[in-house]
Amino acid sequence: MTTPPQSPPPVDEKRAAFEREALVHLDALYRVALRLTGNAADADDLVQETMLKAYRAWHQYQPGTNAKGWLLTILRHAFINEYRRRTRHPETVDLDAIEPFAVLDERQDDDPQGQFFDRIVDDEVLRAIDELPEQFREAVVLSDVEGMSYEEVARILDVPIGTVKSRLFRARRLLQAKLYEYAVGMGYIKGNRT
Amino acid sequence: MNCREALDRVYEFLDKELTPEVEREVRDHLEACRPCGQQFNFEEAFLKFLQARCRTRSAPPDLKRRILRDLFGE
Repeated sequence: MTTPPQSPPPVDEKRAAFEREALVHLDALYRVALRLTGNAADADDLVQETMLKAYRAWHQYQPGTNAKGWLLTILRHAFINEYRRRTRHPETVDLDAIEPFAVLDERQDDDPQGQFFDRIVDDEVLRAIDELPEQFREAVVLSDVEGMSYEEVARILDVPIGTVKSRLFRARRLLQAKLYEYAVGMGYIKGNRT
Repeated sequence: MNCREALDRVYEFLDKELTPEVEREVRDHLEACRPCGQQFNFEEAFLKFLQARCRTRSAPPDLKRRILRDLFGE
């Protein structure tokens, strides 16, 4: 007859902690991966790889701190190092040159509450996000899709908070302009812009 | 605070990222300035719409199984 061990083997503790603190963020990792890679198969692989890296590096994680941020940082590095080159090309556009117009100016008279947005479906919004330049897309995904604070976004992207503010500002305006143009194109609203 | 300064902070205000002092200054401006109030309402509606539309996806069930198999051999 064997006696049960005094304490569970360390691997079980590690597994329990990992499931409790890391695996619960699977949906968030998947949503971000999907927007970064642009397709479901690569998103699956990227998340799987992120979880594997995170499990191996679990001793570096401090329990009770921001696990989601830690995992997203790993995911982003994996994306930059291994996926970006083959899934999307790094941008060559000059982000500072992008000056989207303010959509409200167009809608002021008929629809100051922006009700036309409600007619635009999920897939169209996600497509518009996917079309953003990568630096803008990252900011929007972390902030608007995942609800992270500017400070958390800055840490994950490894940029100053001021950069997050400015990217988010221009990214949202650009997104607004794209969705406005889409709504005009679909005939949901009449465009005033020439 | 003038209109330009208020509008530059619209997202920081809506994201609740301003210090209490600056947030108060923006609020004071909005109470006095109807066009800026409209712009803020419009942007608020936009952010709500945007966030509601893109927070819905979950990971496919098979992905979790693959990860568990990968990590723990299940």
